[in-house]
Amino acid sequence: MASAAEHDVPIPYMQRTRDYYQTLGFPAYRWAHFADVPFAPLAKPLAASRVALITTAAPYQPGVGDQGPGAKYNAAAKFYTVYSDTTESAPDLRISHVGYDRKHTTAEDSRTWFPLAALQASVKAGRIGALTPRFHGSPTNRSQRVTLESDAPELLRRCREDAADVVVLVPS
Amino acid sequence: MSLVARHLEADGLPTVIMGCAKDIVEHCGVPRFLFSDFPLGNSAGKPFDADSQAATLELALRVLESAPAPRTTVQSPQRWNDDAAWKLDYNNLAKLTPEDIAERRKEFESVKATIKDMPGRK
Repeated sequence: MASAAEHDVPIPYMQRTRDYYQTLGFPAYRWAHFADVPFAPLAKPLAASRVALITTAAPYQPGVGDQGPGAKYNAAAKFYTVYSDTTESAPDLRISHVGYDRKHTTAEDSRTWFPLAALQASVKAGRIGALTPRFHGSPTNRSQRVTLESDAPELLRRCREDAADVVVLVPS
Repeated sequence: MSLVARHLEADGLPTVIMGCAKDIVEHCGVPRFLFSDFPLGNSAGKPFDADSQAATLELALRVLESAPAPRTTVQSPQRWNDDAAWKLDYNNLAKLTPEDIAERRKEFESVKATIKDMPGRK
């Protein structure tokens, strides 16, 4: 088995971003950091569970500029409150509002950041019991206070309302 | 997203995160995490590759049902490609010219102004 290259490690995003912001002259960002982590065991097998899906992708909004594929970072396409939509069809979701790797990926295939089709296939195969009727969108406004005080409780409320047993979260 | 997973889990709702930013998610501390060593934007598998997407979700489901304790990270065995050179590019100052940096500074200022003006901003 050949050795891997030295740089063949998960990208150190925090260090890269710290250096990058410092050079550009912007204030340092402090990422969320906790010593304790909650843990809830599954109440029943996945084949009998209702699965909720939470995404950071944004619904396409006409009139707020290029949203891709391949669009530049588009802050105007951000959303600021939790949204929900049906899991019965395929919504038009985009990721131009977040800092994805624009050099090495093109954002042409939404299934790479929004696994609804794969989840639907898992329901069909009997791997999971069902999907909740709605998926939910989680804002990416970089305010941890807003996430903790507004968005997370609202997402919890909606997952409970939909009788979710487990939740798959996919940041884009 | 990590904060949301923690909040749901604290209320008794089991979660799994599918993501590509290993250090940021682990720094926060989450219950279960399937890490794909792919460029940001591909948390759910490779573009136009149904097998990759199905395998990524399946592994996330296995992490969800079998993690023995919080902070369980599993790294997907999938490779973005054989050459790992793509990992040297993202926001890497060593690869940017002074002109690139000036351009990005300008872009960042305009983004900041846009976000400040957004309705609903708290």
